[in-house]
Amino acid sequence: MNECLLCEQIIAFSPSWKGLLGLDRQMNICPNCSKKFKHADIKDEGTILDKITTLYTYNEAMREYLHQFKFLQDVQLAGVFAKELHEHLKGAGTIVPIPMHPEKKIQRTFAHMDELLKSANVSYSNILDKTDTVVMGEKSKEQRLAMKPLFALKPGKTLQSGTYILVDDIYTTGTTLCHAAIVLKEAGATRVEAVTLIRAER
Amino acid sequence: MTKPFDSTVRDFLAGRIWLRLHTPFPTETIDKHIESQHIQTIQGIKSQKKFANQVRHFCNRCENDTQSRFTTFDCAKCNGPCTYCRHCIKMGRISTCTELIVWNSEPPVYPLEHALTWGGILTSQQQKASNELIESNNKRLPHLISAVCGAGKTEILFEPIHKLLTQGKRVCLAAPRVDVILELEPRLRTAFPNTAIEALYGGSESTIESAQLILATTHQLYRFRHAFDAIFVDEADAFPYTAEETLRRAVRKAAKPQTPIHYVTATPSEKLLAEMNKTGRVSSINRRYHGHPLPVPRYDTLWNYAKHIRKGRLPAKLVKWIEERLQLQQPFLIFFHTIMLMEEAEPLFKQLDAKICAVHAVHPDRQERVQALRNKEIPGLLTTTILERGITIPNVQVAVVGSEQLTFNKCALVQIGGRVGRSAQFPTGDFVLFHHGITYAMDEAKNEIHRLNKGGVHV
Repeated sequence: MNECLLCEQIIAFSPSWKGLLGLDRQMNICPNCSKKFKHADIKDEGTILDKITTLYTYNEAMREYLHQFKFLQDVQLAGVFAKELHEHLKGAGTIVPIPMHPEKKIQRTFAHMDELLKSANVSYSNILDKTDTVVMGEKSKEQRLAMKPLFALKPGKTLQSGTYILVDDIYTTGTTLCHAAIVLKEAGATRVEAVTLIRAER
Repeated sequence: MTKPFDSTVRDFLAGRIWLRLHTPFPTETIDKHIESQHIQTIQGIKSQKKFANQVRHFCNRCENDTQSRFTTFDCAKCNGPCTYCRHCIKMGRISTCTELIVWNSEPPVYPLEHALTWGGILTSQQQKASNELIESNNKRLPHLISAVCGAGKTEILFEPIHKLLTQGKRVCLAAPRVDVILELEPRLRTAFPNTAIEALYGGSESTIESAQLILATTHQLYRFRHAFDAIFVDEADAFPYTAEETLRRAVRKAAKPQTPIHYVTATPSEKLLAEMNKTGRVSSINRRYHGHPLPVPRYDTLWNYAKHIRKGRLPAKLVKWIEERLQLQQPFLIFFHTIMLMEEAEPLFKQLDAKICAVHAVHPDRQERVQALRNKEIPGLLTTTILERGITIPNVQVAVVGSEQLTFNKCALVQIGGRVGRSAQFPTGDFVLFHHGITYAMDEAKNEIHRLNKGGVHV
């Protein structure tokens, strides 16, 4: 018996052979709540980022989710999209979450991308550093494009050639992801893809 | 503790339990008061080791101790495992490394002069209950006022509240539902024009004043500690107060130790009655203030209504009932047992009159739509049991669709019937239960209403 992370209703349990053998992943949210999130499955290809996959569109349910997860700091909610993230990321390449500035991380008490990946049971490597504390949401598109590099490789890290997958929560104009991709490519990555949870429309 | 302190900080914090980092004051001010011991800090989450390395957590704000409602994670702030309470997270997260603060110095002094400008006259039954309540307050005994819907329960409270206020005491009137608070607020503000009153509910504007009379949803009382000399819990049998242990604890915690908690309701549970008969006192009122009997429910069959609605047809009897209401221009409420069925039915009702609309607990326009019905802008509302209590609309007619459903237990049906005929101008009205079979609950509700009308009291 477990409760839905979002509406706190008890999730109806349906017995199955998989469940009995412990192979089925436990549901974290009830069908009613998961229905409210709208799947997007957008796949884009570009020059800097070789491929961008987005799982959901931004809607009211997603706004509420992000509010409770990031603003109210409900770390437990990292588990809501565990299953989807796991399916999209397992065995795909080296996973690199978009980092937070250390000061911001202390303020929030956790790095939301790391928590999302942890609960999705995906191994990841933190090879990037955020150099600035700017918040993307407050900037216009022109301002975003004119920005200094946002990321740097962690000191002492070297990259092996191969596929790297950047993971972020929201994709709006793509500035953040491009900045990170450039750093990775300059360091020797042959292919950089990106997976974002949400695509926001401006 | 002779050091000076800021009286605005005292007025705000007295009786509250607050997050150290989320006060309306600068951190330096708070730090200074902590240093001079005017403010005491309390750890947010208390974790106790039990046998076999098990740890039990306890939230010091909402007093939640259900272990599944706690989450432990690697905290970047305190660099270690940190536990937070998910139960009260909407009020700002409380974790192991956050601190709560309480006022730990002289309490504020409240004025003794209060005007009571309610012009009405209490009926003899109301007056008796009011006097008994004042007496219980003097003896510090908890008191239950069990009065039928439309007996004028709020008016009974005016004098006892006024007495407490003039003694310089701090009083709280709490209810589990925000609708009840919103309805009470203007009535209390007119009754006590000179008193500092604050209404607190999810989404109310936060102020830094510290009112002597507080109107609050029971959830808001998580944020209070040893604040009140008396608490009145209105609609004490309503969801979620009865379902959630932490809310009852919150009310107890918000009251000063050894102070009474009074209950007011039309449908007390047997448990509450038994408890109050044992530890406190009970006043019963079985007549409405205008002296007319409670409307007795009328049964009418509405076979397979769910199937009809799902197929896009409204049952003929229901259509006829609504057309009559529309023709007589009587406002109406139609109760459904689930949001889903109600939303399926909504477009069908709109064919009869485009202005008919639906409300439920999480509906964004809930308050506006209820207000629109009061203002006679719309002919009627479809609703779930969320409107079963606390609302007064003159001459409203009520139908329950599917009264055999489990949601409509005895209490719910008595409360729903209580919406009808509340004003002295229209003391009667139609109260019809459209059903797919008669349940015990329906008969119990009907018998209860008959019994109260004959002059019986709650047993």
